[in-house]
Amino acid sequence: MGLDGVPYTLLKEYIERGLMPEVGKLAGTGKLLKMKSTLPEISSVAWTSFMTGKNPGEHGIFGFMEINRDTYEYTFPDFYSLKERPVWERNGWKSVVLNIPQTYPAKPLNGVLVSGFVALDLKKATYPERVFDYLSGMGYRIDVNARLAAENPDEFFKDLFHTLGKRKEAIEHLYDNEEWDLFIAAITETDRLHHFFFDSALAGDHYDKFERFYREIDAFIGKMASKAKEDGAGFLTCSDHGFTPIKSEVYINRWLMENGYLVLNSGDGLTGITRDSRAFNLDPSRIYIHLEGKYGRGPVKSTEYEPLRNELREKLKEISFEGQKVIKEVFTKEEIFKGPQTANGPDLYLLPNYGFDLKGVANRPNIFGMTRFRGMHTYDDAHLFSSAPLELEDPKIEDVASIISEWVRGSAP
Amino acid sequence: MGQDKELLLSLHIDQKIEKSKSIIKEGLEKFGRDKTSLAITGGKDSTTALWIAKNVCDEMGLKLPVCMFIDEGDVFDEIREFVEYIKNLWSLDIAFLKNRDVAEKAGALGDTVKASSLNDVNRAALSEMNFSEEEFPFIPDSTVCNHLMKTLPMREFIVKNNINLMSIAIRWDEQAARKEDAFFVPRENPPHTRMHPILHLRERDIWIAIFKNDIPYNKLYKLGYRSLGARCATGRASDIPAWMQDLENTPERVGRGQEKEKMMDQLRALGYM
Repeated sequence: MGLDGVPYTLLKEYIERGLMPEVGKLAGTGKLLKMKSTLPEISSVAWTSFMTGKNPGEHGIFGFMEINRDTYEYTFPDFYSLKERPVWERNGWKSVVLNIPQTYPAKPLNGVLVSGFVALDLKKATYPERVFDYLSGMGYRIDVNARLAAENPDEFFKDLFHTLGKRKEAIEHLYDNEEWDLFIAAITETDRLHHFFFDSALAGDHYDKFERFYREIDAFIGKMASKAKEDGAGFLTCSDHGFTPIKSEVYINRWLMENGYLVLNSGDGLTGITRDSRAFNLDPSRIYIHLEGKYGRGPVKSTEYEPLRNELREKLKEISFEGQKVIKEVFTKEEIFKGPQTANGPDLYLLPNYGFDLKGVANRPNIFGMTRFRGMHTYDDAHLFSSAPLELEDPKIEDVASIISEWVRGSAP
Repeated sequence: MGQDKELLLSLHIDQKIEKSKSIIKEGLEKFGRDKTSLAITGGKDSTTALWIAKNVCDEMGLKLPVCMFIDEGDVFDEIREFVEYIKNLWSLDIAFLKNRDVAEKAGALGDTVKASSLNDVNRAALSEMNFSEEEFPFIPDSTVCNHLMKTLPMREFIVKNNINLMSIAIRWDEQAARKEDAFFVPRENPPHTRMHPILHLRERDIWIAIFKNDIPYNKLYKLGYRSLGARCATGRASDIPAWMQDLENTPERVGRGQEKEKMMDQLRALGYM
């Protein structure tokens, strides 16, 4: 079971508070660990590492969007863009895969696949067709309407619980009615709740919703865990990243502009980038050097690459907000990615301190600001729960695929 | 180019057309009529550019260069009819290009194409774009299909016919990505020059030119389409004729690439972009 954006520390706290008795019981008999996400700590990247067992330098997914190197328009990698195959495809296992991000459009497999975020059309998101008939018939929801969160919180919560209900119903139905050796289903509603209301996760205006929501999640996990136990299957839950409240959003492209590295002559994304621009940022904090030859308007010569990258690295580390350092660490791509796709990765990646939500948006008037979001992803506070003993003490999300593989190959743990 | 560009954009429509004519004349004189081709789509921009080119050729005593029409796999019937209409009207020589191998292996829109079923040329084109999957869906506006169905036939056409100058009717105001383009741009793979004779015409200018000079236009515009592409990727912007819409304050390509727009919308709702 994937629990999108559910932090280890939050689970521990809710067990402590008695909100999650089922998960508490499971943690007593199995193993609940803190887990590292990928860099970038973004759902599309992290879930791709989850399903392939590879790092972004191998699977080639570095974010929800990339940029066309000639027109500078955004492009959107989809399921077909993965350079490594998910474990179920590699091994041809009889599988049910429901709602994992970055699996749209659905590809044929030995089993059932229903794509997760960003899935636009349920029909294209579902394989085979009979499952589409079931899902459309029962009123399945691919995702909540996130726009409601700021406009009408009451409606958003209604939609959130409704979508979670449909998700649980579809998961149970497929679990009970399909043949499988591997069953994977993710719940996305956790991430959606956190993005807009994580400042209420421990106390606050909307804490009552968190209580109600997590009691429902807990009961469902308990139910699925006991089904798995009856079937002699191993049971695992994990998240793709953690969450923490936002102190400030930080617009890195604005910083690049104010420091003379980026010049845009239009407000439409990065399409108005000029030949004077030496670097740009894509969500969340992927810094690319605007190299000549690599990009249509790139002015930076290859001999200038390393000096510029070092200069940026030093300067970006110094960004501060009300006396606090914004950036925890700056990595070069060679430090965090390995594999043939590394060259397509960002030249620098910025990992922020908790509370500073780094953004790729290009048209903000200031470096710092707040919008409707109240929670941001964290890298080091995802969770992993296993019903069976694990040798790992410090797991990363790309380790999960090999645990799954061992379990499927060796039948039940 | 900044100041020149502003000046060009502010000209009267007749002066703009004169500028287009001088660009086409320059191109024809430099590269020769036989090494030139005009890309046409059946849309308002390429038809207007074609009308201007026809005037230039008439003045120079030349026959119009060969036109190139690419069938990307999902062409509106109205576009086929319209292209047939102007072909007869102006006695055009049109090369109709289509990647038949991919289209045949795909069958219907959205069907899965197995990479291994394609011929050597298409397989080479796939590996050129680092595509390593076994199959892909046949969706004409996707990255893979764009490359196979548009880029590849155009490349072959250029090489086979020894074309050195390819005229394309893009405009600066059409989308932000066009803002930096020039009238003549050298291109590689294969080496040739792109000519953009109507860069400085705005969407409004195109309609003014069409009505002023009685240039034929596709009836889809009357139904509210503002910009025409593959049928599956094109939607109506409104139900009033294109030229009566708020051209200056609404996006021209509003009906195009709706999947991409939807995707961007969902990502924005979660704070990306």
